Amino acid sequence: MIIRIHRGKGGKYDDFDIEAAEGMTVLDLLFYIQENVDPSLAFRYSCRGAACGSCAVLANGLPVLACKTPLSKLTKPAENGQVFLPVSAEIPGGGILLEPAPYLPVIRDLVVDWEPFFEKYRKLEPVLKAGGETPEKEYIVGHDESREMEKYTNCILCALCWSACPIVAGVEGYPGPAALAKLFRFYLDPRESGDIDRLSIADNESGWWACDFYTNCKKVCPKGVPPNVAIGRARKLLKDKEEGK
Amino acid sequence: MGNKDLYRHDVIVVGGGLAGLRAAVEACDRGADTAVLSKVYPLRSHSVAAQGGINAALGNSPAAKDDNWEKHAFDTIKGSVYLADQDAVEILCREAPGAVFELEHWGTVFSRDDHGRLAQRPFGGADVPRTCYAADRTGHNLLNTLFEQAASRGIRFYNEFFVTSLVVDEETCRGCIALDILSGNLHGFSSKSLVLATGGYGMIYDHSTNSLINTADGMALAYSAGAKLKDMEFVQFHPTTLSGSNILISEGARGEGAYLVNSEGDRFMAKYAPQAEELAPRDIVARSIMKEIQAGLGFDGGCVHLDLRHLGAEKIRERLPGIRQIAMDFADLDPVEQPIPVQPGQHYSMGGIDVSPDGETGIRGLFAVGECACISVHGANRLGGNSLLDTLVFGRRVGDKAFNESHDEAAPVVEAALNREIKRLDELFSSRGESFASLMREMKKTMFESFGIFRDENNMQEGLGSLNELGKKFEGAAVNSARKIFCQSLVRTLELGFMLDIAGAVALSALWRKESRGSHYRTDWPDRDDDRYLKHTLISKTDGQKPAIEYSPVKLGLFPVKEDGY
Repeated sequence: MIIRIHRGKGGKYDDFDIEAAEGMTVLDLLFYIQENVDPSLAFRYSCRGAACGSCAVLANGLPVLACKTPLSKLTKPAENGQVFLPVSAEIPGGGILLEPAPYLPVIRDLVVDWEPFFEKYRKLEPVLKAGGETPEKEYIVGHDESREMEKYTNCILCALCWSACPIVAGVEGYPGPAALAKLFRFYLDPRESGDIDRLSIADNESGWWACDFYTNCKKVCPKGVPPNVAIGRARKLLKDKEEGK
Repeated sequence: MGNKDLYRHDVIVVGGGLAGLRAAVEACDRGADTAVLSKVYPLRSHSVAAQGGINAALGNSPAAKDDNWEKHAFDTIKGSVYLADQDAVEILCREAPGAVFELEHWGTVFSRDDHGRLAQRPFGGADVPRTCYAADRTGHNLLNTLFEQAASRGIRFYNEFFVTSLVVDEETCRGCIALDILSGNLHGFSSKSLVLATGGYGMIYDHSTNSLINTADGMALAYSAGAKLKDMEFVQFHPTTLSGSNILISEGARGEGAYLVNSEGDRFMAKYAPQAEELAPRDIVARSIMKEIQAGLGFDGGCVHLDLRHLGAEKIRERLPGIRQIAMDFADLDPVEQPIPVQPGQHYSMGGIDVSPDGETGIRGLFAVGECACISVHGANRLGGNSLLDTLVFGRRVGDKAFNESHDEAAPVVEAALNREIKRLDELFSSRGESFASLMREMKKTMFESFGIFRDENNMQEGLGSLNELGKKFEGAAVNSARKIFCQSLVRTLELGFMLDIAGAVALSALWRKESRGSHYRTDWPDRDDDRYLKHTLISKTDGQKPAIEYSPVKLGLFPVKEDGY
């Protein structure tokens, strides 16, 4: 099987002819190449169990975590709901094209600079701003409130949604789906005052209102987080407030 | 590859997992100019993979109404097979509720009981339900909260900076030398005190649940700098890791009631631990599974089944969504409908850098905390839910101590060390020799085969011989890549050096202890021997770089030493 991998900072690709083992994931393949064929290959990894968010890549146009994506998934016909992004090289027939995740500066090979992603995340002040007095023991929080937050706290900040979002590509200053979902999670938190001002930091043309609901974010999320739902709910809350509801 | 930039901070924390971030937050809150150096973005640290929970005697569960810190301490000490230092365990268990409430106040989303309080589940080796949790993503939720807290405080983060050596002068740590992985440049860091919080060494073993970045870095840095390592023979094997990939399947599954079943369909744990059954401590469950497999009662691939089906779809989705996802993503099965094939895998290091309950290493200005340290609160076997707790309780204490015990800077010493390090790494680049990969594979195999769940003298001596051979071969290792930007073959070569050093320490410590206790099980010395071995193993490099073993007494006092029994 021909594996075509992006090399350097842009535009160059190397081909590797690899006999893929049964059940091999994209991450297994990258390690195989680095350890046996080309020690200079660069890619990110950590937990290899889809928990840490290190290994986002574009594989045959699919934005995926390398660790949880078997090669067999890439050579199968497309499934319903899969998000394919434009690729910059030919996908070898029956083979695999691996590229860095889009919309972040490339450092080398499959490694991108995460700073623009995290910079936007930091700007939304993602930290609990508890209102009122701190209790002696735990705050009392209901099952339902807890579950509602969990939908968004499951985010692993892998930036796959960022790479799959047409708005990130087109709107300067857009925080991206993950950062907005994180902001909404803090708005939901009953330990905060519940003030809608929490949402106002992104109440502008390039914030909540920039989303066009492609819902690529939810489709590519390896953890099932729905940033599109958070964005829709935030917009309704802000609109209701403006209309004095 | 040199770059003469020298960075200066009051407190430098190496490692951005829970222990490191908690220490950094404390030092920062005390007023120290604090920096975190992490070889990955902090959220990628291995703490994120912790699943099942964190112990604290809150007594929230109806079954644990009169729970208290003493009961938690007793369970911890019994689980440790009396090797834990009881003064340190007292601190761990007394401070547990405060540590958990603090993270809750900072924003961690925990699972709740019907009263809206923190829910608590049963865990192995615990008398009552005492483990707080966030479904089965407890580490992820805690790490995100601590990262949010650390980032909002103006702590300086050096992400993807890999520490290659410590600078020690006049028995005082003056800082460290670190590789900026993105640029390929080396930098000197001058500090008034330095905290190692680099986690464990799982990658010295085949079949580990650990993240691939757990390569013994901090332990090896301290060991080379002259610090002692303690109880290195105690390596925890988690009973239930996904067969093949060895991704962790939380003890929370058994806490919620899952069964372990052999190929005859029998729940076999009652044979080995009549009372605790599936919820016996991890060392006992791991050995029991291996005995079933060795008796021919395993399934293909050397595993048994973890059966969740009787819990019902609703409970599995609510309490164990993460492991359901892992089973679907990595084993292509849904535990609602099928049992999960599991086998024991390396999971945790009870041993580590020998430190006081305030993280002091014996080298002035050098501290350690978290899995890379051994205080010791886990002794010969750690209870599930106590490692997350360890990171928070002692992270806070060590951050405080690192602030209070800071000493004068010595920037010129760091500069001189930087120049030496530049030369050393340039040589790794210019030479041509064996690359890290084959040596690493050989090391992992040796450690699993010779220093695994069952050990004996002959096998271990053979393993030690192989490690020594690998050490010699490593002297000729080379990077074999000309690209210095994000040069993983350089990082991985240096990591292998760290791992070989620590693998040797595990091996020598395991050979020294001629008894069986907790996770250290010798088929040639199958009994516990308190007369000769109720003591800590210490290993350090003497001047000639040759490791030497000594021992120190266990601190008792709370509970008398008793026989095993679950």
